[in-house]
Amino acid sequence: MDWLKGKTVHLAGTHPAIEAALKAAGATHSPMEEANIFVHLAPAPRHVPAHEQGHEEWRKTLDAGLDQRFLQANDFARHCRDRGQGGVVLFVGAPEQSAGVDQAAAAGALGNLTKTLGVEWARDGIRVNSILTHRNDETVGTLAAYLVSDYAAYVTGAVMGVDEND
Amino acid sequence: MSVPTHHIIPEPPAFENPPYPPDIFAGRTVLVSGGGSGMGLAMAKAFAQGGAKVAVMGRNLDRAQAGAAEIAALGASVHAISADVRDPAAISAAFDAAEAVLGPVTLLANNAGANFPVLAENISVNAWNAVTRIAIDGTFLCSTEMVRRCIARGEGGAIVNNSAQYIWTGFPGDAHSAAAKTAQATMTKAMAREWKALGIRVNAIAAGFFPHASSTNGDAPDAIAPLQNMIPAGRTGRIREFGWMSAMTCTPLIGGMTGQVIVQDGGESLRRSLMMPDFIPPRERSGGPWGWQ
Repeated sequence: MDWLKGKTVHLAGTHPAIEAALKAAGATHSPMEEANIFVHLAPAPRHVPAHEQGHEEWRKTLDAGLDQRFLQANDFARHCRDRGQGGVVLFVGAPEQSAGVDQAAAAGALGNLTKTLGVEWARDGIRVNSILTHRNDETVGTLAAYLVSDYAAYVTGAVMGVDEND
Repeated sequence: MSVPTHHIIPEPPAFENPPYPPDIFAGRTVLVSGGGSGMGLAMAKAFAQGGAKVAVMGRNLDRAQAGAAEIAALGASVHAISADVRDPAAISAAFDAAEAVLGPVTLLANNAGANFPVLAENISVNAWNAVTRIAIDGTFLCSTEMVRRCIARGEGGAIVNNSAQYIWTGFPGDAHSAAAKTAQATMTKAMAREWKALGIRVNAIAAGFFPHASSTNGDAPDAIAPLQNMIPAGRTGRIREFGWMSAMTCTPLIGGMTGQVIVQDGGESLRRSLMMPDFIPPRERSGGPWGWQ
């Protein structure tokens, strides 16, 4: 399966299964300025009850799970437009209700951001989707590779999980 | 008016390049309800491209046979069956017939559906019953029929449901289908939970508009052109990409996926503006309840 043959991808964060699947599908790494695909991976935060959570810890989740995603996706989309090319953004993270209120805020905001950017950038040929899951296995990797491939050319603004617990 | 040339419109690969190997479903049989035409035929072809044997079920045997002939031309073993998805005995008989010819059915595409623009106040009891029960009861009856057989044989399986992009927003002028298609999506999640331990996965595609010969005005280029402009993606869906996404959910390539409803609509359901054209009640729309007829 060479879903991503000839495509370049820029990853923010680490996710061995997704990295392996993108590579297996034929994608090569590149700096964001030249990438066709931008995948942003945010780790699941530790569950800390809201009343025990300090503002600094709260901000850390929101920064990784929301703010950085928006800012970096915006940079990526700008580079795509400058080159006159389409592109694909994929956000990957934990489900909304899988940890504390910090994650609920970040993932909820990210979901509707995904839907919004998908429409704002549709005619730039830039698709935007999210996978919010507790899993980090091969299925997640393959699903991610499919979503960023041209086989999913009509999928944008989609927010999905992977299994019944997401 | 056409989509401006500086807009970028992503397209899927050609039909000859499916996303999975030609033997991904080798030795397995899929039953596709409403598989003789339209979106069901696209699903059936996608499964056939992965090496599945295909049972094409439809109310109209001629249409099922015509679809089966197209699928057979791809090299797949096929069997066409006439059955009404609202009739449990007919479904059971259809599975018997499919399994007698093609072997155990472990893959199912619940596609059978009916839909047409109509004001809620004009939906007859018969029409309401037809549209809702084909999708809701049909999905329940076909899925449970397959799963009981899988349980008896100790086999896993996979189901994909053809839902719609309007399941989260409602669809004025389409009350029967709005209700029915949402039930399919919520059933997807419930069935996925119940059958997880049995190795049976259930997913759905919340599909946008994929024109085909038998969709409402779907074969009329003059009617489709304005839709290209209306949809954020700048085009309507290509029927092959819907078929592939549907079949893909059933492959072992993403064998851990279940309970998902994947929207595939080019952003159609998400389009909105703060200021939009004046609201015209479906009853007063010149183009009919959908504003398009």
